[in-house]
Amino acid sequence: MELLIKILHNYYYMVAILLFIIGMHTMLTHSNLIKKVIAMNIMDTSVFLLFVAIGYTYGGEAPIVREGSEVLYVNPLPGSLMLTGIVVAVSITAYALSLIVKIYRYYGTVDYDEICLIRSQE
Amino acid sequence: MGLEQHFPALIIAILFGIAFFSPLLYRWARKISAPALITALTLALAMSISLLIQVTQGGNITYYLGGWPPPWGVELKIDLLRVYMLIIVLAVSTWIMIYALKDLEHELKTEMLGWYYSLYALLVGSMAGITLTNDLFNLFVLMEICAISACAIISIKEDRACLEASFKYLILSAMGTGCFLLGVAMIYMVTGHLNYDLVSEALPKAVELYPNNMFAAAALFIVAFGTKSALFPLHVWLPDAHASAPSPSSAMLSGVVIKIYAFALFIMFYQIFPRTLLDSIPLNEIVLWLASMGIMFGSIFAMVQVDLKKMLAYSSIGQIGYVFLGIGLDDSMAMAGGFYHLLVHAIMKSMLFMAAGVIIYSTGIRQIKQLGGIGQVLPVTMLAFTIGSASMIGLPGTGGLISKWYLALGALDIGRPIFVVIILASSLLNAVYYMPIIVNAFMQQEEFEHEAKPVPRQMLIPLIVGMAAIIFFGVFSRPVIVLLESAMQMFF
Amino acid sequence: MTLEDQIVRITSRLVVPFIQVYGIYIILHGHLSPGGGFSGGAIFGSSLVLVALSFNLEVGAKQISHDTSSILESGGALGFILTGLVAVVLGGNFLSNQAAGFPMGEAGELFSAGAIFIITTFLGIKVASTIITLFYNIIEEEDKSGASH
Repeated sequence: MELLIKILHNYYYMVAILLFIIGMHTMLTHSNLIKKVIAMNIMDTSVFLLFVAIGYTYGGEAPIVREGSEVLYVNPLPGSLMLTGIVVAVSITAYALSLIVKIYRYYGTVDYDEICLIRSQE
Repeated sequence: MGLEQHFPALIIAILFGIAFFSPLLYRWARKISAPALITALTLALAMSISLLIQVTQGGNITYYLGGWPPPWGVELKIDLLRVYMLIIVLAVSTWIMIYALKDLEHELKTEMLGWYYSLYALLVGSMAGITLTNDLFNLFVLMEICAISACAIISIKEDRACLEASFKYLILSAMGTGCFLLGVAMIYMVTGHLNYDLVSEALPKAVELYPNNMFAAAALFIVAFGTKSALFPLHVWLPDAHASAPSPSSAMLSGVVIKIYAFALFIMFYQIFPRTLLDSIPLNEIVLWLASMGIMFGSIFAMVQVDLKKMLAYSSIGQIGYVFLGIGLDDSMAMAGGFYHLLVHAIMKSMLFMAAGVIIYSTGIRQIKQLGGIGQVLPVTMLAFTIGSASMIGLPGTGGLISKWYLALGALDIGRPIFVVIILASSLLNAVYYMPIIVNAFMQQEEFEHEAKPVPRQMLIPLIVGMAAIIFFGVFSRPVIVLLESAMQMFF
Repeated sequence: MTLEDQIVRITSRLVVPFIQVYGIYIILHGHLSPGGGFSGGAIFGSSLVLVALSFNLEVGAKQISHDTSSILESGGALGFILTGLVAVVLGGNFLSNQAAGFPMGEAGELFSAGAIFIITTFLGIKVASTIITLFYNIIEEEDKSGASH
């Protein structure tokens, strides 16, 4: 019971970990290359969510300093780090997609099992 | 204080600068783009040697990017071990690039060369960054840059095997960095810091309060760096990727890239994680046994290969095991041995891949069976191959012996003779698959039946330099070992 | 040309200038408000992608040629590094801002925050041209492979 309450209190961590596992599982087991790339994005996004959740403060405001106001604000660091993380994820995705286009040109399929079949017949 | 205080940042800046400049140079002044890259690499190497002198004379150096000290800013840190890694990265990559200038002309399309230089500089720059950075998130970004550029120098060749191999590598290394980022999140959650030093200050308390969190982080780090550096069960991407890439890329990937991650894992284990964590869960044991399995299975897989480059790639899986053995053994002598092996293997594996590249350039042969009698037409190349193989096996007079010697001494030191047996057995296995090639190449009576193009001097000189370096590090190993042992002082 | 084509084209022709102005606004106010080089550059770049999608690739390529965009791409990144090096020349650490003597200006004004303003501008150029180059590279590769789009 105590564990359940703990989990309910920290549900955003649980969601992030769940998404991470879904992403990782799909990435490693599905044979469709496009699905692998989508799963990679799900995995990355789950970590971004976790980071942003860490930085959030209940009732906090945007961390912009105004004259003479001492308000509670959310931690800006995880947000800005995850912006960088998103940029990195975008570039990896773009590269992976362009590789898939090229793979399609050479093999005529985006299914990894079929690619393995073609390669084994060579 | 003059310019030399800025060297840590300038090394990375100059490499990334040339990475973005070389496409422009290749467009406007094609002739000077290759010399410009070599100049930039040499400059960076000179700066790193100057850093070595600064560190040995004045102790560790820290550099604040933008002038902001740690809790706010990003810090670069240089100690003996890092400067050692930095020099290996820069020296080996300069050496490979000199060879690559000729080799690439026949392996790549001409218009791709400018992009290759760009990606190569990006790869070297990101690896230099990984060795110097003192910030977890920075490490993540640099790892991703390293992964993209490493995949790209494989897929730039544009044949079907390369594309498939590079996609596999990309997916698995994306999984690795994903795991690493999750681990960083776990650490940031409990400490609120990303700087190595601040994290390692805050962690002992955090391990007491949130042990599960830290166990998860440690496990994620092993998966992340294990995938990236091809620790045994996570090595599946390596053989295809390293075998199908253009030869200079294979030399670079097998020689340097996988080792950077082993170094990063070492930093995580011994600089960031507190000792109490390493004592409470058998992290070292896991790494040790995975490394031992890698050493044995890598060699066994290598024996059954028919493709020369694939055999070399499988051999890398075995050899990276020695480095991990050094990390896992938790003894300063074994660690010095592991890091010495890192240096020696960087030289010998790059040289073997270059020799394979020369064979492919000259005769077009990739199959081991067809190599009989090739010593008659390519004597220098096969001599380099012989010396590289001798060092792989660990014959006296080569660098390979010294590292295995120190690893064995370290294993005996902490009372684990089983690892000495593994080291000896794997040397035997190495001999089983390297010796037949050499014997066939030199001893066969029949004439070599394939045509052989003459090999340009620019490809042979790096091989000769490599041979000299292996023998040099086999004979005069003392200075490096002394440097490594004093570098290890920090961690004990 | 069908009616749908015309609707899409006229709408995008109307919308694109506003998207571009908004992108530039986000880039230039990177040091004052949420956003900055990456977000603004992505907005600006996607406006040109929109042109290419709603008309055709040739019209899109006329807006900014491949050469220009790849030169801008390298130039943007080089500008970032040069800004860092200028700080070294001025006597600060790499990438330092006020410490190296970049003019700070008045907080809240457009031309303030020294090096940050310069860096976001270069970043915006780099990201915008990267988005365009990526789009064209993938599309043209697909054309070569004979896939339909």
